[in-house]
This record gives sequence, structure tokens and C-alpha cells, in this order.
Amino acid sequence: MDTEHKLKQWQQAGLLEKETAERILAFEKRQPAPKKLPLLLMIGLVFLSLAIFSFVAANWQAIPDLAKVLLMLALMWLFYTIAHFSEKKVFGSPLLFRVIGLAMFGAALLTAAQTFHFPLANSVLPWAMFLATLAHYFYWRHLIYSVIGFFFGALVLLSFMPDIGWLEWILFIAVAVAWFYFSKEFAPVVFSWILLFASGFMLWGLVDYDSVLWPIWTLFALVLLLLIVPETKQRMIRPLYLIAAGMLIVVYLAVRGQTFIGLIDESQLGEAIALAVVGIGVLLLSFFKFRSLMWVAVPGVIGLLLFDETAIGLAVAAELSALAYLIIAQRQNEPLGLGFVYFIIVQFVIYIIYAWERLDMSVFFLIGALLLFLLSAVAWWVNRRKEGATP
Amino acid sequence: MKSWLFPILQTAVVVILLISYYAASWFGEQYVLRAEPYDPFDPFYGEYVMLQYPDLISTTVTDDDSVYFTLKESTDGYAVIDRLETEPFFGAIKGSVFGGSVTAPQLEQFYVEQGLGPDLESARNLEVTIDVSSWGTIRPVDLRERSE
Repeated sequence: MDTEHKLKQWQQAGLLEKETAERILAFEKRQPAPKKLPLLLMIGLVFLSLAIFSFVAANWQAIPDLAKVLLMLALMWLFYTIAHFSEKKVFGSPLLFRVIGLAMFGAALLTAAQTFHFPLANSVLPWAMFLATLAHYFYWRHLIYSVIGFFFGALVLLSFMPDIGWLEWILFIAVAVAWFYFSKEFAPVVFSWILLFASGFMLWGLVDYDSVLWPIWTLFALVLLLLIVPETKQRMIRPLYLIAAGMLIVVYLAVRGQTFIGLIDESQLGEAIALAVVGIGVLLLSFFKFRSLMWVAVPGVIGLLLFDETAIGLAVAAELSALAYLIIAQRQNEPLGLGFVYFIIVQFVIYIIYAWERLDMSVFFLIGALLLFLLSAVAWWVNRRKEGATP
Repeated sequence: MKSWLFPILQTAVVVILLISYYAASWFGEQYVLRAEPYDPFDPFYGEYVMLQYPDLISTTVTDDDSVYFTLKESTDGYAVIDRLETEPFFGAIKGSVFGGSVTAPQLEQFYVEQGLGPDLESARNLEVTIDVSSWGTIRPVDLRERSE
């Protein structure tokens, strides 16, 4: 026996008294053996359920329309009942049975839609599943429900297209904000935040005014969320804001620098200025309230910089923000991982935009890189001396 | 036991969905539409026939994502457009117009019994029976070959 072997080892190593070892062994022997379902019974059950499923599938056409839906509902009830008793009598996994019950609800909705010729293009089915899953999450608070909820939330958003109404959009945002606000764990907070950010993209369908800056406006609007959450949650979602801001800069830089799409025209100058002003507002707000998030204001300059066709302004903004973030994070002893990833991506994008077609100048870049490397080595050396290290 | 609320509410949702469907027959009128299959395809969730309706024609609006219309029975027994507007009005079916042909999401595709799809697609002359509620929802009831 494994326990016996281990105990003997510990006893020989002098970690355990002989009496204690004997008492542990006696205790372990008194424990009831774990109940196991006989293998044959399990195989039998698998075959039985396969047989039932194939029987139903073979006769699916002959089943009256209403009975098909009722069959799915009956299955849903069966799994919720099993879940209830498995929780009460402590057998099996109540969570698994409930998830299957929820899946059966989805199946009942799909069957109803298919048998009764409902249009599948509208958002009723994803909405029903989204709300049901969120209700499950708030009652049982399990990670799996947040994953399923995120999936169906994304489906609701997708089903909004192509024509989307303000009412449904506002309702979706209200649900997502409630989910965000009343969740404490990392996963549901992140999922609801991503859904909120994605719902900003729906503005392209909602508003007649054609703007390329909706994602940045969305990010700025989401800064308001930070005002209503406690500080622990602020710390939790901080990387999300930084990642989103970094991604926005990189994407706009890549699109502006690499393509010839006219992203913005003079009629949108007012919007670009407004974005920059709001960016300054975000900067001030975060300076007084949550200083580590000041970086989120950087995308505020994108609107104005998009007017520059060479994208040099955007490249400078991306490069400077990356370097400044790394330097400040290092001085404050904060983790550098994310900053480094951003820095490297920015270098790649800039390299592809400006250097790809000028590879004949690669020696120039090589010398530049070597010089930079040398300079940083000197700076490191000087820094080391200043901190009092002896060579 | 609050946990029982979940299956109860979920059942209620499905029941409401079904009632909304049957209500179109209880409080509505029945129309038969002349139909033709087109661009047939067969996605993973079942066999269905894509339909277009030669009698549902709009002369006023030729291309619009959202139009609102009502039906009436013509002299030959098949339904035609009664009134068509670009703004919603009570009792109207929401649909769209492409190249003058009017259709609604519920009318575009019709699920059929497994195996029947190819036959119905090859038959050019079909008729669809629908119930339309007085508030504009549609319940497709039957799809069959037209006898003419």
C-alpha cells in the first residue's frame, strides 16, 4: 500500500514516531473504501443511452412537433433533478449535470425554432441563453458559467448585426455592466469587460456618422467604470485597459502606416480634436484617481495623428509610450512583462512599415542597433556604479 | 428551493415562445403564397428549402433592408401584397425588398423533413401556407407542391 510505504519512509527518516505512524495507518484502514460504479454497469449505461438516442433520432420525423420540444424540456428537467439529488446525496458532479441541463434548455430553444420555423437570424435565442447562464452564474458562482455566459454574450453581439437597435444595445450594456459590477472573480470581470469593449464596436452600425475612432471612444467611456469599483478590482482590471490601449495604438499605426485607406477626412477634424480633449480629461482624471492608468490617455492623440499620411507621428507616439512605460515601470519595481511585449510588437510594426522595403539600408539599422545596445550597456554600468556595486 | 426556479423559468421561456407561435393561428388569418425554391443549400442544422415569392412584388420600393407590409388574398386564391410602407404600422410584417421582390425572414427558409428537401427544391412550383397574426407575426404552417 502506498500510504504504508510512505509512512515507513518517514519513520526511517526520523520524521515520524512509531506510534503516530501506527495510529495514522489504523485511521486510514478504518476509512470506507470509495464507492465505485461497477465497470459493467457504466458500459451498460453508455450503450443504453446510445440506443435511446439512436431510437429517438430514427423516429424524429414521426414525432409530433410539440412532442419534440417537450422531449427536450423533459431532458432538461431530468438533468436538473439529477443535479439536485447529486448535490443532496453527494454523488456524481452536480455542476456537470446542471451544465447539461442548461445545454438542454438551449437544445429545447433550437428545436422549437427549427420545428416551428422561427427565424434564426434574430437575437432571441442567444439572449435567452445569455441571461439563463448569467442567472446560473450569480446563483452558483462557478467559472464554467462565466465561460458559457461570455460565449453567448458574444453571440448576442454578433446577432445584433447587421441592423441593431438602440434599445437592445443599451439593454445589453446594462446587463454586461451589472455582470461586471457584481462579480468579484477575475474571469467574469474580464469577460464582462471584453463584452463591454466589444459592444462599443456596434456604434458603427448604430450611428449614421462614420467614425474610425469608436474603439478609442469606447475605451475612454470604460474608464468611467473604474470610478464605481473598489481598489482591489481596479488593480485586477488594470492590465485590460493597458492591453486595450496598447493594441489600439499598434492597430491604428499598422493600418495607417501599411495601407493606403483614407481613414479620416477633414470633416472629422472636430471629432479628432474632441477625442484629444477627452484624452486630456482622462489623463487628468487618472492622474488624480488612479495614476498607474495614465497610459490609457495616450490613444487620445491617435485622432489627430491619423491626418499625417506618413504615420511618423503615430510611430513616435507608440515608441515613446513604450519606452516611457518600461522606464517608469522599472523605476517603480512593477512587472515589466506586458510592457516588453508591447515594446517588441511596436518595434516589429515600425520595422515592417518603414524598413521592409529598404532592406538595402539594413547595415544602417544594424549600426543603429549596435549603438543603442552600447549606449544601454553604458547606462546600465553607470547605474550600477551609482547604486554602490563594486566592479 | 430557489434552484428549482431555473428549470421552471427556462420552461416558461420555451412555453412563451411556443404560445407566441400558436397565437398567430388563434388570432390571425391564413394565406397561401405561391413560392419557388432558389439557391438551395443545406447547412449543418437541418435540411431546408430557400424560397422566393413571385407574387410578392413591390413597384414603389425596389431595394430596402426594412419594409413593412400586409397581405391580401387575390382572385386566384394566392396572397399578394396589400399595403407596403417603409415605416412600421400596426399589423405589418417586417421584411425586406431586393430587386422588387419582397420577403420576410420567416418566409425565406422552410425546414422540411429529412429527405424531402431535394424533391421540393427540384419542384419549381410550390405553395406555402402561413398564418399571420393581427400584430404581424408569421407562423409558416405548410410547404407543398402546387397543383396547377
